[in-house]
Amino acid sequence: MISHRQGNAQRISALDERAEALHLKRDMGIADARAMHPSIDIVEADPEADRRLLEGLADWCDRYTPLVALDGADGLFLDVTGCTHLFGGERAMLDDILSRFLHQGFDVRAGLAPTPGAAWAAARFCGDRIVDGGEEEALLAPLPLAALRIAPETRASLESVGLRTAGAVMAAPRAPLARRFGATLLLRLDQALGRLDEAVSPRLPVAPLSVERHLAEPVTLTEDIERLVGLLATTLKTDLERRGEGARTLALLLFRVDGAVSRIALGTSRPMRDPRLIQKLFHERLAALEQDIDAGYGFDLVRLSVLAAAAFDMAQADLTGEVTDDGADIALFADRIRARLGEGAVLQPVAVESHLPERAVAIVPFSEAPRRTTPPKRQDRVQAPKTIFPPERPIRLFRAPEPIEVPATEMPEGPPLHFRWRRALYRVTRAEGPERIAAEWWRQAPGDAAASTRDYFRIEDAEGRRYWLYRQGLYGGSQSAPRWFMHGVFA
Amino acid sequence: MAISAVARETVFALRRQIAKIEGTLPERLQAPAGAPLDADASPDLTIVRRGLAAALPDAFLPVGVDPLDAALSGGLPKAALSEIHGLETRDAGAVAGFALSLASLILKQAQGLPVLWIGTAEIFREAGFPYARGLQASFGIEPEQLLFSEAPKLVDALWVAEEAARMTALAAVILEIRGNPQRLDLTATRRLHARAQSAGRPVFLLRQAAEPEPTAAPVRLIVSPAPAVPRETVAGPLAGSIGRPAFTISIGKSRTALPGQFTLEWNPDERVFDERRGEEGRAKNPVPVVSLSGGRKDPAAASGAVLAFPAPRSSDAISSATGDQPPPGQRAAHLSPRRAG
Repeated sequence: MISHRQGNAQRISALDERAEALHLKRDMGIADARAMHPSIDIVEADPEADRRLLEGLADWCDRYTPLVALDGADGLFLDVTGCTHLFGGERAMLDDILSRFLHQGFDVRAGLAPTPGAAWAAARFCGDRIVDGGEEEALLAPLPLAALRIAPETRASLESVGLRTAGAVMAAPRAPLARRFGATLLLRLDQALGRLDEAVSPRLPVAPLSVERHLAEPVTLTEDIERLVGLLATTLKTDLERRGEGARTLALLLFRVDGAVSRIALGTSRPMRDPRLIQKLFHERLAALEQDIDAGYGFDLVRLSVLAAAAFDMAQADLTGEVTDDGADIALFADRIRARLGEGAVLQPVAVESHLPERAVAIVPFSEAPRRTTPPKRQDRVQAPKTIFPPERPIRLFRAPEPIEVPATEMPEGPPLHFRWRRALYRVTRAEGPERIAAEWWRQAPGDAAASTRDYFRIEDAEGRRYWLYRQGLYGGSQSAPRWFMHGVFA
Repeated sequence: MAISAVARETVFALRRQIAKIEGTLPERLQAPAGAPLDADASPDLTIVRRGLAAALPDAFLPVGVDPLDAALSGGLPKAALSEIHGLETRDAGAVAGFALSLASLILKQAQGLPVLWIGTAEIFREAGFPYARGLQASFGIEPEQLLFSEAPKLVDALWVAEEAARMTALAAVILEIRGNPQRLDLTATRRLHARAQSAGRPVFLLRQAAEPEPTAAPVRLIVSPAPAVPRETVAGPLAGSIGRPAFTISIGKSRTALPGQFTLEWNPDERVFDERRGEEGRAKNPVPVVSLSGGRKDPAAASGAVLAFPAPRSSDAISSATGDQPPPGQRAAHLSPRRAG
């Protein structure tokens, strides 16, 4: 028996058959139930866990249709339009769903109807019923008002005027109903009867292309899964070719026998349709996820979906039949590295228009298309004059400038004579600078303390190492003494 | 004439055979000085071990400094793993700078191909992440030609490097590792070397703060920073200024070279190496250039005694890589203790 807190009292929110046999009911106070049967076992409700379980079930229901939506805390909508023939008809599909859920240990009620409202009512109030088109009215008429999915207050007030079944409401004149009980009642009624369309919003976007294979004998080995990916990708290739597209994002769904679903997605740098390459990418991904994927008793359904596709340009091979395209090699290489080590494993620098050294280069994940961080240059715009002597920039930059201790400088504004960095003392033999770099005031919140300017020095120490230091703030200007930082190293 | 050409061919074939049996073939066998040369014979009488690929005329990347190129018998091997060592982590700037200069030399020939720089998260945190603006200014490597790969663990970095080393679509691969991890052993370097050989692309293994270990790389260079000369102006050197980057290169391991030290200067404008000119430039330098001659006394004495090399090679751990033993004169330089930098 599961309890939940409602108002100030613990109440029963769910209970099993044995508890029901003891004449306990939902929404009964726990204190009353204990008084009747002191030995009952009560567990606190965990809505989060229930939600996770429902989402897991929704994932699993993906095997029947890609359009699965959650319905409240305890229901699922499956839009099976056009899917039933794959499972041998509506009846066979419903039986399959029910028997599989039963084997997983769930007590499930299902209904199948042309409208979501009617299916909802059929599942909750008739049980295992298939409603054909046009039968909605006959189905709903004898059912209580709760079958109309209306708020309890509306239901109570409807009952108070003697409308106790859905049929009675349907028979009543519409205008007074709408005036007295609001538009929602009629909306629900019309939706259930199919007079108005009701959109069920699926949890996940529907993949434009999917191929799947049901397996009589569940597979557990990673090698078998990879081989299946290759087979599925071969099937996918014809579809992609027909559409003139290549896959940009691929997802592999592994449905385990006991209902768990593993979802493995990967992206590609350029549109891809070669089954061999797709298999290779999933090989890396599966190798990286080896520990995370628990095959358990095996997977009985493997599905490969194309989540995003893009136009695929055929490369013209030369007479020897070889396509020489270095870019493709690098794209594939990057994809493989990323499939195994994650999105940030292959990076590329992009120059950004900024004079702040740490902002002047953005490190972004590798992608084929060149990214533009600045607007395209127009000829009529005034260009900043190019200097003949560009400022010296270090070849390595620390992610965060490291504070250094500077005991003394020759002049207040000058370079340090000594400094201590990472506990080692360095003697400065030569210095160039300062190069003053101000903060970007247009990017700062007013009154930001970090707005102080930096004076950069190029330093060479006694052993010939060259560093890039800066002093933040000015001597005598502000109340706090300026601080020194190590920002980069030169060759 | 034809007879002598055939005879010469036979001599070389026999020599190759002998060397193969001995198993310790030097990289090149010079034709005897007194041997009659045919007019139509190619002047390059170099026989290089390990297949045809290395024997091609552009098998070497000339550094551009004659004494160093001569010592390395033509330059760094192009289709091979090359180790570039730094004694301390704070030398990372010089080590990376030297490797990038080599990459820049390669990019002069292989236009348009990118350079991949692989590093562990540790080294990028300790020594700084490569800064594309600086690379563009100093080495002429455009940001579009750069790819970075940051691996959380050494194993991943090695895997990425092995995958990258076999690619012909990359101009060069730079792998940067700190210290002497167990994973990076002879086998790992051998795998990298084999892939680099088959792809014909160089792999530079930058090892910061590392002790020399047995390695499959044919060449190991030890790079340390050298004080730069002042900037040249029309009115002569500008006192107190810091000119072009300079490196001190010592050959740690090479099948052909004798140990030696060279001070190179990188010219970012021409993208070539210059050898540090004579003393007249250095006299005005306020900083004395640290003498790095082979017989110098170490500034920080290593613990333990530096022993002469035993004449018969004992079958200790290093003997697995017979050719990898640094020559005796070189040992003192490696034994300086590592400092956390």
